[in-house]
Parts: sequence; structure tokens; C-alpha cells
Amino acid sequence: MELQLDLYGPLFLHTLSYWWVIVPSIFLGLLVGAIPGFSAANTIIILLPLTLVMDVEVGLIFMVALYCSSRMGAGIPAILVNIPGTAGAAATPLDGYPMTKAGRGQQALAMSFVASSLGGLLTTVLALMTMPWLAQVGYYMHSVEMIVVMLFGISLIASIAARDTLKGLIAGFFGLMIGSIGADHVYATPRGTMGFLELYDGVPLIPALVGLFAVSEAFLIIEAQSILSRHSRDLLKTAGWSATLEGARIALARWWHITWNSIIGLVIGVIPGAGASIASFVAYQQSRTYSKTPEAYGTGHPEGLIAPESANNGVTAGTLIPLLILGIPGGATAAIMLVVMQYHGVIMGPHLFSDRPDLGYGVFMAMAVTYLIMSFTILPLSRYMSKVTLVSTAYMAPIIIAFTLVGSFVPREYMFDMALGLVFGVIGYIARKTGYHVAAILIGVILGPLLEQYFLRALKMSEGDISVLFSSSLGNVLWVALFVTVLTPFALDYKRRRRAAHG
Amino acid sequence: MAIPGTPTRRAFLKGSAAAAGAAGLASHPLAFALAEAFPSRNVNVVVPTREGGGADRNLRAFTGVWKKYLKTNFEPGFYPGASGRVGYEVYMGKRKADCYNLIFGNMGPELLNWVVQKPTFDINDYVYFGRVDTDPGCVFVGAKSPFKSIDDIVAEGKKRKLNVGTSRLAHPASIGILALGEHTGAQFNLIPLSGGKNTVAGAVTGEMDFSVLTSGTVAARGDAVRTLLVFNDKNLLGERLDNAPTMNDHFGTSLPPMLSSRAFAIHTAAIEKYPDRFKVLADTFKQVFTDPEYKPVVVKAKGNWEYINYGGIEECKAYAKDIFEIGERFKPYLTGKS
Amino acid sequence: MNETGGKKSIGGDFVIPVAALVFTLYYFSTIIESPWTAQVAAFFIGAILIALTLLFLVKSAIAIGRGQADLGMNAVIAPTGLLATRLGLLAITAAYLVLIEWGGFTLTTFGFLLAAMLLLNRGQRAGFITLFALAVSLGGYLIFILAFETRFPRGPFEELIQAAMQAGI
Repeated sequence: MELQLDLYGPLFLHTLSYWWVIVPSIFLGLLVGAIPGFSAANTIIILLPLTLVMDVEVGLIFMVALYCSSRMGAGIPAILVNIPGTAGAAATPLDGYPMTKAGRGQQALAMSFVASSLGGLLTTVLALMTMPWLAQVGYYMHSVEMIVVMLFGISLIASIAARDTLKGLIAGFFGLMIGSIGADHVYATPRGTMGFLELYDGVPLIPALVGLFAVSEAFLIIEAQSILSRHSRDLLKTAGWSATLEGARIALARWWHITWNSIIGLVIGVIPGAGASIASFVAYQQSRTYSKTPEAYGTGHPEGLIAPESANNGVTAGTLIPLLILGIPGGATAAIMLVVMQYHGVIMGPHLFSDRPDLGYGVFMAMAVTYLIMSFTILPLSRYMSKVTLVSTAYMAPIIIAFTLVGSFVPREYMFDMALGLVFGVIGYIARKTGYHVAAILIGVILGPLLEQYFLRALKMSEGDISVLFSSSLGNVLWVALFVTVLTPFALDYKRRRRAAHG
Repeated sequence: MAIPGTPTRRAFLKGSAAAAGAAGLASHPLAFALAEAFPSRNVNVVVPTREGGGADRNLRAFTGVWKKYLKTNFEPGFYPGASGRVGYEVYMGKRKADCYNLIFGNMGPELLNWVVQKPTFDINDYVYFGRVDTDPGCVFVGAKSPFKSIDDIVAEGKKRKLNVGTSRLAHPASIGILALGEHTGAQFNLIPLSGGKNTVAGAVTGEMDFSVLTSGTVAARGDAVRTLLVFNDKNLLGERLDNAPTMNDHFGTSLPPMLSSRAFAIHTAAIEKYPDRFKVLADTFKQVFTDPEYKPVVVKAKGNWEYINYGGIEECKAYAKDIFEIGERFKPYLTGKS
Repeated sequence: MNETGGKKSIGGDFVIPVAALVFTLYYFSTIIESPWTAQVAAFFIGAILIALTLLFLVKSAIAIGRGQADLGMNAVIAPTGLLATRLGLLAITAAYLVLIEWGGFTLTTFGFLLAAMLLLNRGQRAGFITLFALAVSLGGYLIFILAFETRFPRGPFEELIQAAMQAGI
């Protein structure tokens, strides 16, 4: 597969001529991304009859645009009302929501949009240039390596626990334990399911997400008339276009941060089975570890918002690479795209770029064009979206409860999941009232089962020999990196204290 | 999300079937006469796998044609979870046994699952009465694998234990490879990878030495993979499965075909209570296979026409008996209690 | 964590660790006879969790013993003036989940929004709230049932609309 540079110019203009598909897809994507329970994958399934009758090129552009914009959409409620639209945006509220509470929601949205678009655009271009090599990542990142990547994400629990270590760790391990509910990954024996068949496949993510963040939030915000203080309200009410520009400027000034974190997203996205939630946790954790002001994270620090948002948009390009080059989808949305393309008689895999270069390169061009169009159409909306937070909590709380519980029903269509959302809501409420971080619980619920799955796979392959964890060179390099990452904050802290003592 | 003028998901199912129905109805007076009494409303189908997957496509194609003989709409509901048990226990179990409720399952994996883990319902509460297809398991490697034939694998398996990716332990394809190990003395270590997508990825990325899966899925992956052995009496897909030999031909064994087999099941009580209704279901079900419109629909949905294979209650029973027997034989391995 | 008269009320702080402890012990009981693959990760994580919770309990017990803390539940129920409203909202939410099976999505959502908003507004602006709840639940019907065709329980309202549509009205 060679790069065909002369192809790009005409292909770009050709893709741009499909703006009439891209623009509505962007708005649809923003909407489904923002409602917990909906995602690009299940929206494409819902619209399958439509996608199947579309021309193959239109269908592909539609799916790609929807995929990219839903990623951005998921960040909007995360920032404004502390409710991540998908698990991929679960790290976004950590710093996004405190900004909103301080009356800087408009700036936060602008930052997120710029980080998402720029990160997405950058990784698309990078993916296009490095595809043949990046596709090889899948050949090296096996179970053992993935265990270490998961641990990067899980070590975020320790960072979050910084303020009250014991409570933070209890929350994180409680999350990991809840994440272990379900049939074991090898012999499928049910564990901790309390007799509910609906829990055999593990705790469904959306009800956990919705309960821990949204429902508990609804029960908390009714303590005041508004989620904003009087000062924040005044700030938001008087904010003009300058606030959007300020947010964009803050993000652009951190272009290096966007670049670095979107590349983390791209690489994690390329690994089959990994996904946006892992990428955003790892990015947040990396960003915090190597920051000069780690203590500012969690209080509305711009970098704490930019890191996960650029990473989860970097994942988008990444998941498509194994699909296009190897014919194996990197995530749920990519898997559905495979089905649609098969229906049109397009075989994804090594021969795609020689058989149908227009489609192979077209996918990335569609992404690039989508991100470009998005940056012009969505950024101005931040001013209006942020006003949502001015709504009185007496109206907002019931709407949050109703629509997020409805959202927990959507992915599996089980009434059980709505009740589970409420149970997690109660757990989340008590946790937040008593100083246990819900994000730590959620990290455990999301990453715990994935970690166990890779861990068991590695152990089963080595027939129980634990030394398998240190059997690969790449794995060992990653172990060292993990070790350094975990120890760095202590080292930096020590250095700072010494300097303070001497200074 | 219904854009005006475009078919929605469920309307699409009904619409395509309605179009097919208009053509064939008049020529089948029997179906027409009986249909006046039954069915008088839509037939619900519980699908114990996720929407958009293989069963979904298979069901769309089949009910699209069946509908014109049964003269009613099908309303599918997708309830995946716990290897299909949620569909059976939580949903089908609560539905009325009145012949208006069917379940569209996958006999092989479901029956094996029940062998290794006894479900809370009595398996005799349901009867498979209509087999739609039979999709044999196969052995395959990634395009870059050093293994060029099944003999390479067996030879290597005698030197070291090979890691074999499979979608889950209790699966006909897993049984096939265990039987091969038993016959040749090669050592295989089955690694369940939860689902076909990961199983293909395991072979392609080289984390597994090779993988086993239903061959229909493998054939759809084109050049990314190479098939080396099929667990059936004949390699029906030929070139599309790289002309791989069958186990019985190549090794002289007499293993029954290791099939995934999609089939409709119904409450046993419904058959006893409403034999007339059941007869309408069973008769019209069979008519689909001889309908000239069925093949193009299957081919259009990228199904393998060679695997479409009618079976009634008796065929399903015989198949279940085979699977139960072989499942019992390998039960210790499949439950980790060997 | 509330402070009353110099003492910290830490009763509420126990809820999560105790829940975690009880759940972990229950979880262990379900895997005691399972193959090793089902046990290894859970025993590892569970053991750490048990150790952490025990450490927490001991630390808290010492604090209580020294008179620095008591078992008050203030942290969970504060502000107490809002307790009744909060429990009311919880009850309405639970009722919503129970009734939706019979009442169908649209009607029950309308009822839930109406009841919850009236509760939180202390019965004021009833007219506006009724209209608002109506608009939101109808919007929900349009998005979730008509457009996305999700399988929410159908009730009298959904049946009526469907019948009307089929009759060509």
C-alpha cells in the first residue's frame, strides 16, 4: 500500500461536495452522542434500512460523520450537567463540570470543541500517513500488553484518591468488585449476580454511568435553586462571544497537549477491543502525572478537560485502521460499518486500498472534512448550549432523572436496566455525600472487567504461569513506563517539598 | 429519526415482506384458508442475540418470505445476554404459549450451553421445530500465519500445546477441535475470546496460533484469513473456504458435523394446546424453502445459500440428541472440572 | 462529613465501606466452588477491598473512641429541611419505574415529571408545570418511540395513537 498524494486534492473536493450529507449527520451525531444510551453504533443499527439503500459512498460518509460528531456530542452534557453521554466521555466531567459551576461553561464547551476537532483532524491526517505501520500495532499489543495499558487507566484511581487516599481506594476497589459481577470469562460460571440473569454479561455500563453521575446529581442539585452560584450566574448571563473565543484561545494555546493526547487516543484506538473510555482515562492520568500543577486537576483545570476530549476523538480514527487494513473492526461502530460495507459487496481488509482506493482513503477524507465542518458549525453553538445551566433545578432534576433512566433502557431494552440505574443513583448519591469519588467507582466498573478478561486470557494461554506477565519485550517496556508513571508524582512532590524547604 | 419517505428499521421488515407477499399469496389457497383462523395478529419473535448481528440478517431474510404464506407480520425483539438465556428465561418464558410467540435461536451453542450449565427452566418446555440453516465450524489462521495446512497444525501440536481462539468454550467449533486433538494426539489449549469479532482478531493478529469459528463468518472475512479444515461432511463453500478439506475426509474420523444451526422454537405447551395453529406454522415454514424468491433475499443479505437447510421437528430432535451426547462427553473440559 | 459541636459525624461514611464489605463476602460465597478462572481476580481484588474497609473501620472506631467523632448520619441526610422532599423524589422515581410497565412510556413520564416538578416547586406554578411536563413527555414520545422505535412499554396513549395511525387519521 503506497500513499497516493495526487489522490488527496480531488478526493478532498469530492468529499466536500457531500456537505449536504455531512451537516445533518453532524447534528444527528451530536444529539445521539449527548443522550446517554444512544451511540453512533446503535444509531447506525436503527437506521440500517436507510444506510443499506444509500449509495455506498453516501452511506460511508454518513456513518463516518455520525461517528465523529457523536464523540463530540457525548462531552456536552458531561461538561454542562456532569453527565457523560457515553463511557468514552467519563473522564470529561472531572474538570469540565467544575468549570461550568464556576460560570465558565461556555469557555469549557469551546475548549472541548476545539480539542475534539483539532485532535480528531490531526489524528485523521496522522492515520492517513502512517496507516500501514499503525496497523501493525495490533500484531504486538496482545493480552499482556493490554493488561499494562488497563493498569495505566486504573492507576487514575490513585490520582483521584489523592485527597483522601483510603476513601478513594475503597471507592475504586468497590468499583472493580462491582465490575467483576457476571459470568467468568472462561467457563461462564455466574458470579455475584444475585440471581439476575440480566447481570450474567456483567454490569451494563450505561445504567452504571447514568446512576453514578446523573441520577445522583439530580438528587444533589435540588439543594439549591440553580447549579450555579449567584456570581457564576451573573458571569454566564453576561458572557458574550468573547467567552467562546477565550475558550478556543485557551485550547489552541495548549496545542501540544492536544497533539500528545490525541496520539494516545489514536494508538489505543488501533488496538482491537480497546476503546474511547480507556483512552480518555489513560490520557487524563498521563496529563495529570506530567503536569506542573497536578493539584489543579479536578477543580476545573483546562488541561484536565482537553486531555480526555482530544484522546477520545483520536480513538475514532484509530478504530478504523484495523478495520480497513486487517478487516477486523476496532470497536462497536467499526463492526457495524463492516456489516454495512459487506452488504454493499465491499470486502474490508488488505486489498481494500488496491481494489477501492476511493473508499479506503475516502473514509479518512470524510473524517477530515467532518472535523473541519464541525469546527465552524459547532463552536458558535457553545454560547447557546451553555445557557442550559441557567434552568432552575426544580425543572432540571426531574428531566435529568426521566431522560437518563430512559437512556439506561435503550442499549438493551431491559426494564431491569432502568431500575439498576436508580440503584446506582442511590449508591452514587451516598458516595458523593460522604466523600467517596464516583469517578473512582466508575473507572473500576468500566476497566475492571476488561482487565480481568485480558488477565485471564494471558493466564489461560500460559496455563496458569504468572510469569507470562513479564514474557514480552514490549510488555516489559510498558511495565517500566507504568512504574515510572506511578512513581513520578511522588518524586515530583518530594522535589517540590525539598525545594520549598530549602527556599 | 424517521426521515420522511425512507423506510425505518421495523417498517422495513414489514414492508419488504409485504411486497413479497403480494406476489405469492393467491397461488397458495391452503395457507390462505387456514390463515383466516390463525394467525389473526402479528407473530412475536424473541431473538436471544443482538440486533444487527447474523441472526438478525438471517431472520429478516427468512420472515420476509415466510410472511407471505403465514399472512401476518413478524415483530422481532432482540434480547441478548447470558449466552441466550435471557431471551429464553426472562422473555420467552413469560410469553403466552399460544403459537403467537416464537424464539429464533442457535441450536448448537444454546444446547451445549444447557449441557454445561443447567438452565432454570425445563429444556423440554421448548421445541425447535424449524431449522433454517446449518453452518459448520472450521479451523482458520490469519493471512500471515506460518501454518499452511491442517497437517502443519497437527505436527506442531504434537510438539507443543497450541493456543486456539474460539468465541466460547461451549460451542460446536470448540468441540470439533477437541475431537481433532483426541484423534491425532495433538495438544490444543482453547482460549475463549467472547464473540466472533475477537476470535477472528485473535487469529489475524497472531496472538492465537489459530482459531475456530462458524465457517459462514470466516468466509465473509475474505483474504484476511485462511481456512484449513471444515467440521462437516463436505466443504460446501469450496473456494470461499480455500478448498479446505473436511475432518472426516482428511483424518478418516466419523465425527458428526459440528454445526451452528439457526432454528425457530416454540413452547411445547403451545403445540399441545393448539395443534391446528402449529400445523399452519410448520407447513408455511417449509414452503419458504421452495419459494424462488428466498434465494435472492439470502444472497442479497450476504448469507451463504449453500448453508440454507430445511429441517422440521424430527431433524431438530436428531441434531439435539447428537449435540447432547457429544456435549456430555466433553463436559469436564468445558466446565473446567476435568 | 459534618461537624457538630467539634465532633465529626461519620455514620454516613460507613455506608459505602459496609456495603462493599457485605457485597464482597456475598460475591466470595458465589465463587467458592467455581473453577480457578472465576476466582483468581475476584479473590485478589476482594481481599484488598476487605483489607481497606477493615482499615477504615478500625481508624473510625479509634476516632470515635477518642471522642473526635460520632455515628451521626448528618452527612447523608443534610440539609435536613430537604429530607422529606428528597425522599419524596425518590419515591416518585421508584413509582415511575413500577408504573411504566402498565401506564406506558408517555403517560407515566408525564405523571412523573408533573409530580416531581410540583414537589420541587412546592405546588407553585401548576399550570406552567402541567404544560411543560406535557411538552417534554410528548417530545420524548416523538424521539424515543416514533423516531428511534425503542421498545418502551406501550400503554393506553401509545395504543391510541397507533390505532389512530392505522385507521389513517
